[in-house]
Amino acid sequence: MMRAGDALRRWGVPVTLATALAVFAVFGVYLSPRWLFFLQTVFVLGLFAVATNLLVGYGGLVSFGQASFYGLGAYVLALGWLHYKAPFVLLFVLAPVFGAVAALVVGALALRARHLYFALLTLAFSQLFFTIANQWYGFTSGANGVFGAMVPRVLAAPRVGYWFILAVSFVSIFLLWLVKISPFGLTLQAIRENRKRAEAIGVDVYRHQLYAFVIAGAFAALAGALFVVHDQSAYPGLLDWTKSGEPILMAMIGGLDHFLGPLVGAAVFQFAHDYLLKHTHAWELVLGLVLLAIVLFAPDGLLGVLSWRNRASSGSVRVRLARILGAAAEEDGRDHK
Amino acid sequence: MHGLTTSLFSGLTTASLLFLVASGLTLIFGALRIINVAHGSLYMYGAFLVSSLVAASAGINVPASWMFWLALIVAPLLVAVLGGLMEVLVLRWLYRRNHLLQLLATFALFYILAGTGLLIWGGQYRSVPLPPVLQGHFMLTGGAAFPIYDGFVMAVALAVGLSMWWLLQRTQLGWRIRAAIEDPEMLAATGTNVRALFTGVFTLGALLAGIAGAIVGPTQSITPGLDAQILVSAFIVAVIGGLGSVAGAALGALIIGLFETAGVLWAPNFESAFIYVAMILVLAIRPWGLLGVAES
Repeated sequence: MMRAGDALRRWGVPVTLATALAVFAVFGVYLSPRWLFFLQTVFVLGLFAVATNLLVGYGGLVSFGQASFYGLGAYVLALGWLHYKAPFVLLFVLAPVFGAVAALVVGALALRARHLYFALLTLAFSQLFFTIANQWYGFTSGANGVFGAMVPRVLAAPRVGYWFILAVSFVSIFLLWLVKISPFGLTLQAIRENRKRAEAIGVDVYRHQLYAFVIAGAFAALAGALFVVHDQSAYPGLLDWTKSGEPILMAMIGGLDHFLGPLVGAAVFQFAHDYLLKHTHAWELVLGLVLLAIVLFAPDGLLGVLSWRNRASSGSVRVRLARILGAAAEEDGRDHK
Repeated sequence: MHGLTTSLFSGLTTASLLFLVASGLTLIFGALRIINVAHGSLYMYGAFLVSSLVAASAGINVPASWMFWLALIVAPLLVAVLGGLMEVLVLRWLYRRNHLLQLLATFALFYILAGTGLLIWGGQYRSVPLPPVLQGHFMLTGGAAFPIYDGFVMAVALAVGLSMWWLLQRTQLGWRIRAAIEDPEMLAATGTNVRALFTGVFTLGALLAGIAGAIVGPTQSITPGLDAQILVSAFIVAVIGGLGSVAGAALGALIIGLFETAGVLWAPNFESAFIYVAMILVLAIRPWGLLGVAES
C-alpha cells in the first residue's frame, strides 16, 4: 500500500500529463472548432496558472503582478511583428527570454519586501506595465491593442494551433514539474515552510526566491506568447491587475498543494466563464461565491477535496479541524513575527 | 496663472476624495492586517446608492435636491452596514489564517459585489444632478473660477479628517483602535473585546468609503468598474503615506492629488506611470511609507 502510494506520488504527475497529452491530441482530430477554441484557452491559462503556482503555492510568494509577464510575452510577439516584421519563431523564443529578464528586474526589487508589501510591489509593477501598454500609443497602439496576421498561416488554423498550444503548454508544465521536484524546488518549499530554519542551514533565501520568480516569469511570458497563437492579438487588458488575480484564483480553485491543481482550476474557471456568460450576467457573482466557498470551507481546492490522501486522514471531523487549526496557528506565527 | 490656480484646486479636490477612500483602507489594514480588495466596491456602492435614491425621489414626490442631501447621509450608512456584514460573515473567520486566504476572501467579495452591482444597477452610465445650492462657481481674485461643489467636497474631507483625528486621539474608542494597531494581543489581555472592535473598525472604514462614493456621484458618471479604478489609487495613497497611518493617508492623498494634476498639465500621457514609479520607490526604499512605522 505504501509502495503504491509512493509510486503514485512520484510518477502521478508525468503519467497524468502524458496520458492527457495523448488523449487531447487524439481529441483534436474530432473536436468542433468551438471546443478547440475553448481547450486552447484552457491550456494557455493552465500553463499561466501552474507557473504562477510555483511562486504562490510552492514558494509561498503571493505575487499580484504575474500578468505583467503574461502580457509582456504577448506584446513581444505582437510588437515584434508590427514594428520589425521579425519572424514568428524568433519572437516566440524571445518571449520567455523577455519574461525572464523583466522578472529578474521586478523580482530583484520586489523580493526585498515581504508578504503584503511584496504583493503590493508586484501590483505596482503590473500597473506600471499596464499604463505603458495603455498610454504609449505610438508604440503599443494604446488601448486598442495590436491585432492582425502575426501568426504564420499554418498555426492560425484552429486544429494545428490547438496541437501546437497543447504540445508547448504540456511540455512546459512538465518542465515546471521537474523544477518542483528538483533539489532547487524542494529548497523553495523548505523556505516556504520555515524561512528562518532554511537561512540557519545556509540557504540563500533571496537568491532561491529570485530564481523561482524568474522561472515563473519566463513561463508566464511563454503562456502569453501562446495566447497570441490562440487569439492573434495583444491588448492592455492582458496586463490589468485583475488579470494577475486570475491565475491565483485558478490555483486556489484546483488546489494550491497539488501540482496539476491550477490546470484543473483553469479548466473549471474557463468553462464556468464561457457557460455562465452565455446564460447569465452574473458571472462575477458566481465566481466570487465559488471562490469564497473554497476559501472558507475547502482551502485545499477541488483536488484537495477529491484526493484519497485527504479522505484517508479525515477520519473524523475533529481530527481534520485540529489539523487545520494547528496549521493555521503555525502560519499565524510565520506571518506576523 | 488662472490655469495653475484652477489646477491646484482641482488637485486638492482629487486629494480630498483619495483621502476619504484611502483612510478607510489604511485604518482597516492597521487594525486587522487585511488588505481589503473590496474597499473600492464599497466606494462604488456609495455612488450607486446615491444615484438610485435621487432617481427614486421622482416616484415619491420628494424634490430631487432634498433627496440628494438625504442620500448623502443614508448611502454611506448603508455601505457601513454592508461593510459590517462582510466582516461578521466572512473576514472574522479568517484572522487566524494566512494572508493569502484573507486576500483571496476580499478578492471574492470584490467579485461578488461587482456581480451583484451589475444585477442591481446594470451596465449603463448613471449620473446624479447637483442640487441648485451647489451649482456654479466661486470667483477667485484674478478671475479664476472654481466649482462650488469642489469646495463642498474639500469641506467634507476636512470635516471627516478632523473627526477621525478627534476619534482616534481624544476618545476611549480611538485609544483602543490605536492599541489594536500597535498590539492586538496585549489589548485583548486588558479585557477589550477585540472581535467587536474589529467589526467596528471595518464598519468605520466602510463608512469612509461610502462617504467618498456618495459625494463623488455628481462629479462624474457612475459605472461598473469604478471599484477597480479607485482601489489602485487608494492603495498607492495608503502605501506612500504608510499603511496603517491615517495622517499618512492625508499626506499621500495630497501628494498624489497634486501629482496627478501636475501630470495632466505637463505630461498628459504618463502621469499615472509616474505615480506607480513613486509607489515602487517608496516600497523599495521605505516600505512602511512616509509616516508609517517599520514592522519589526
